[in-house]
Amino acid sequence: MTEKKHPLRGLDSAAVVLLAIGAVLTTVAFVLSFVSAPLVYGAAVDAPALIGGQMVTNKLLLSQKIFYFHMPVAVTSFVALLFTAIFGALFLVRRERRYDLRAKVATEIALVFILMTMVSGEFWERFEWGVWWTWEPRLTTYFILMLLVIGYFILRGAVDDPERRAVFASVFGIIAFIDVPICFLVTRLVPTSVHPVILRTDSGLGPMMLLPLMLSLVGMFCIAFGLYRFRLREQRLRERLEALKEGLED
Amino acid sequence: MNSTRPSTFTQYRTLLAKDIRREFRTREMLTAMGIYAVLMLVVFGAALATTVAAFDILQMSGGLIWALIVFTSLLGLTRSFSYEKEEGALEALLLAPLDRSVIFLSKASSNLLFLAVVELIALPLFYFFFLTGSGLAPTFWMTLGPLIVGTVGIAGIGTLLATITMGTRGKDVLLAVLFIPLIFPLLYACVCATTVALLGSEMIMDTYVPSMALAIGYDVVMILVSWLLYDFVVSV
Repeated sequence: MTEKKHPLRGLDSAAVVLLAIGAVLTTVAFVLSFVSAPLVYGAAVDAPALIGGQMVTNKLLLSQKIFYFHMPVAVTSFVALLFTAIFGALFLVRRERRYDLRAKVATEIALVFILMTMVSGEFWERFEWGVWWTWEPRLTTYFILMLLVIGYFILRGAVDDPERRAVFASVFGIIAFIDVPICFLVTRLVPTSVHPVILRTDSGLGPMMLLPLMLSLVGMFCIAFGLYRFRLREQRLRERLEALKEGLED
Repeated sequence: MNSTRPSTFTQYRTLLAKDIRREFRTREMLTAMGIYAVLMLVVFGAALATTVAAFDILQMSGGLIWALIVFTSLLGLTRSFSYEKEEGALEALLLAPLDRSVIFLSKASSNLLFLAVVELIALPLFYFFFLTGSGLAPTFWMTLGPLIVGTVGIAGIGTLLATITMGTRGKDVLLAVLFIPLIFPLLYACVCATTVALLGSEMIMDTYVPSMALAIGYDVVMILVSWLLYDFVVSV
């Protein structure tokens, strides 16, 4: 077996740098969110409202700081799933195994970020809305997204033949992605949603709030990409090791 | 010059007729699904046995109807491909020079047909067991909308997923794991539309129209994508 220099080797070393940048950016955003960003009224509720059978008042809540972490992580999970669908489509068209590996790693990163979103969202619900769970449109669609991603890995685990596994996973990754735009747009479509629409021109976020949010978002993208490259390299090395082992046995 | 080659529609009709003929001879799917639906009604009866007399079942009957449909369809979908696999019928089908999407359409149609038959039996029974005491709203015929749209979507998405899970380990569980989250938006919209139609309040259109729009949109997107991707799934 000849040693092949991978054309994307440069990206692997960039991953280390990006991971460090991401760590710095998210830390700065975290500090800024406490130091510079003003306190705001809880969620979109600006008057006492009944959410899930509990009164939620308009107290100034420190738990709103979760937002600077929660939303960037959620957006990053959407982007990771977009890559799952893109790599899945590329695999179906070109039938090269590397695209399947990429789709799998992208989904793994998506799952990590989905879990972080769910945990931070859980704190948010408890302290801002006063409930542990409510079947609110975005919450529901995001929960479904998590189940779909878990289903993706169960599906992969249930097929032995690598070719079939790759095709099934690619197809499922593409269909599962349909839930992402639904989850993203649901707060715009359903006015009763408690989630505010953040990405709009008149979102009401002052510059001192927007700055940590954007830093956090860019930082999360960097971290996600760094983790993705690391995991991909690990998986490729593992594959090479397996191939070498089999070569030794023959 | 192409007169020897059957048209796409003829192919579709032949495949659909094959499924229906097989069902007439064995009555495998309809019996299983029908009995399962009745058993679910019995479970509902037990679950609601101790609710107070003033309990308004109309409020939740939309949800119960859809729980019935989802679980019954799951049973039928698992079966719809198992016999194709058993006798190697699918391999022969793939050897025949026909478009793969015809296989998808015929299979989805037969699944839709069987599910519709089961609904025709189960839903009157649901009315008989649970709703005879509470007067139906005059708008109850509007439940036909979500029932048709929902059943079409379940048959379409379910056919693709049943083909995927056919060749996997633990296929019955896997089908449920993939199927239920995937149809969730459709299920949610259909439950909303069915419930408002059964309740028949004055503001019915405010919920009914957006729910139906979501359900139809989801159906169109999902069935188109399933239809496009079916070739990859069935021929691997």
